[in-house]
Amino acid sequence: MMTAAVESESQVVKRGRRNWGEPAMRIAATGSAIVILLMLAALVVVLFVAAVPSIKHFGPGFLMTSTWRPNPLPVLKLDAHGRSIRDRRTGMKVVDHNEPPRFGALASLCGTAQTSMIALLLAVPLSLGAAFYLVRIAPHWLIMPVSFLIEFLAAIPSIAYGLWGMFVLGPWMGGPSRWERIFGILPVPAGIESRFAWLFLQIPGLHWLAQQRIGTRVVPIPTTGRDVLVAGIILGIMIIPIITAISRDVLRNVPRAQIEGTIALGATWWQSCRETLKYSRSALFGAIILGMARAAGETMAVLMVMGSAAVVATSPFMAGTTMASQLAGEFPEASTNDLHRGALMELALILLVMSLAFNVVARYLVVGKSARTSAAH
Amino acid sequence: MFRFLHAAAAVLMLGAGIAAADVQIQSGGATFPNPIYQQWIKDFGQAHNDIKIAYAAKGSGAGIGGLLDKTFDFAGSDAPMNDDELKKAQAVGGDVVEIPSVAGAVVLAYNLPGFSGDLNLSGPVVADIYLGRITKWNDPAISALNPNTNLPATDITTVHRSDGSGTNFVFSSYLCTQSDDFQTKVNFGKTVNWPTGQGGSGNAGVTQAVQKTEGAIGYIELNYALKNGIPFAMLQNNGGKFIKASPQSVSAAGEGAVKDMDEDKTLAVRLWSRDGDDVYPISSFTYLICYKDLSYLNDRAKAQAIVDFFWYATHDGQSKAADLTYAPLSSGVQQRVEQAIETITFNGHALHPTNK
Repeated sequence: MMTAAVESESQVVKRGRRNWGEPAMRIAATGSAIVILLMLAALVVVLFVAAVPSIKHFGPGFLMTSTWRPNPLPVLKLDAHGRSIRDRRTGMKVVDHNEPPRFGALASLCGTAQTSMIALLLAVPLSLGAAFYLVRIAPHWLIMPVSFLIEFLAAIPSIAYGLWGMFVLGPWMGGPSRWERIFGILPVPAGIESRFAWLFLQIPGLHWLAQQRIGTRVVPIPTTGRDVLVAGIILGIMIIPIITAISRDVLRNVPRAQIEGTIALGATWWQSCRETLKYSRSALFGAIILGMARAAGETMAVLMVMGSAAVVATSPFMAGTTMASQLAGEFPEASTNDLHRGALMELALILLVMSLAFNVVARYLVVGKSARTSAAH
Repeated sequence: MFRFLHAAAAVLMLGAGIAAADVQIQSGGATFPNPIYQQWIKDFGQAHNDIKIAYAAKGSGAGIGGLLDKTFDFAGSDAPMNDDELKKAQAVGGDVVEIPSVAGAVVLAYNLPGFSGDLNLSGPVVADIYLGRITKWNDPAISALNPNTNLPATDITTVHRSDGSGTNFVFSSYLCTQSDDFQTKVNFGKTVNWPTGQGGSGNAGVTQAVQKTEGAIGYIELNYALKNGIPFAMLQNNGGKFIKASPQSVSAAGEGAVKDMDEDKTLAVRLWSRDGDDVYPISSFTYLICYKDLSYLNDRAKAQAIVDFFWYATHDGQSKAADLTYAPLSSGVQQRVEQAIETITFNGHALHPTNK
């Protein structure tokens, strides 16, 4: 035993002398780490530089206005009789001067917050419930396949969720209230939104949830199935796997001693469970924040189901937009206009800083907690 | 290590194999003409084994951006370059030529269950619908265009393209010519701030939104509508006639535009709201754009290949247009295009097309 160890050690030393493995590995690994840091720094710098025209032009007001108008608005030239003049070449009226484009992030900021909130309302109870079931209730043979399925859900590309939202969920939620038959047999209620809208209109004080103001008139919002609510639900479905997977790991890492301790003290099963949850609540909160970060940064699915309107939605049935989806939708055609490009870059910068903050907080809560626990052992 | 080197060498050789073509042209831009550009590139490549053209359908704006930073040797764009872009181009490469390659149209799809027959619309009415002023299908303004029909009292939901696109540019430009209020309140552009309604991403997104929403109206490209059998409205032209969009009624608009091509020696002209009996009013060209002086490429063969490709596209290539539901160039436009292609130079010499 002793000799074998000595022998292998000397072999290691010999081999180490003979090749360049160790320094090469050191340099490669250190280099990789530095490159990753540099990439993040480059990303921030590039975004900031590109955003400068917008930051200079709009200042902090960018965060407080919702007008998103990438084109200038013309003021027409009038002739001596106060009439506008037609330009034969363009077919339009002659322009005296243009009001410059205006950009404000409020609509997409609100849209991001609203959809993320709806997503959390849907995903948190389901994910925590599923995680708790997997750790404390599920029979042994079921844990593996269910865990596998949840991780599989996390791997589905977001555009697939988007397509499903666009062709299945949206049409089912929107439209007039009706019955539809699944596979031509099973009848299910459809037009869910118009049912809710009807309900809101019956309850005094909730009318505003189903109405909007156009000019001076207050009219019911058409329930189209392409709105804040549907986008929120799609995001909720998308973040269920990530919250479930992390909270399952968190709950599984609760020290055995902790659980046995509660039972030893005479706690019932339910009391013991409550203690477990209390013990890991900050890590669970971290899991939720990671899910929220994913929801806030999601692009394609939102672009496909949210109706893309740069307005602050006052009702779940109104179309809206999020920062990420606005970026994806407009960037390809904005590349030659510095201000438009700058405004989109500023959105990207806000998004980057936001997700960085989310991740730092979540990491502190998830990892910090378990590090503190393992240190205590 | 040696194995790694072998692999690297193999990859390099593979790259060299792909690069066997003598002339490689990078281009990109508008998505609308992408199907026919790919067809042309394929056909042109079969006739010229030594030339390889790549066209990336990234959007008109990206195409012009690529031309400005010279990552693209030529660009495709649905909207001609605006003053700002022309100024930037002037600074980096001088004058540009914008050559119409094919024409397309924007049509209005609608969803009115129970309404049979063709729906007639006019420019001012469509402008008021998109301004949110006409909100019901049985509005007197719409009924007046559709006598003896049963228009329902359904609310109108307008659907627009949410992504920046040439389709937005053409449609909003057309409405600007039809309504002063539209020009001053919305104006035109690849992304405009619509006062009402909902966005859909791409032709598919708009179509889906229209088909799933009772009372919806949305604008899509003609060739998308034809390919997918989507019904669309007839539109009143300058002469007061209601016209169904078709490659023929779009090509007809080109003739009316030829006279404007003379004015300041650019081929970038509006095709919408043109006079003519059988002209569909929301038509537009899509353009192939390159610098007039191609000396900066430092490669005469490459410059020649671009010119030859432009010539092919606007001549023999035109016969492919109708099959792919694009409107071919009319003969008057083609003459102007020929003159424009002849103005492209390399080191001070005109590059006459070799495939004339």
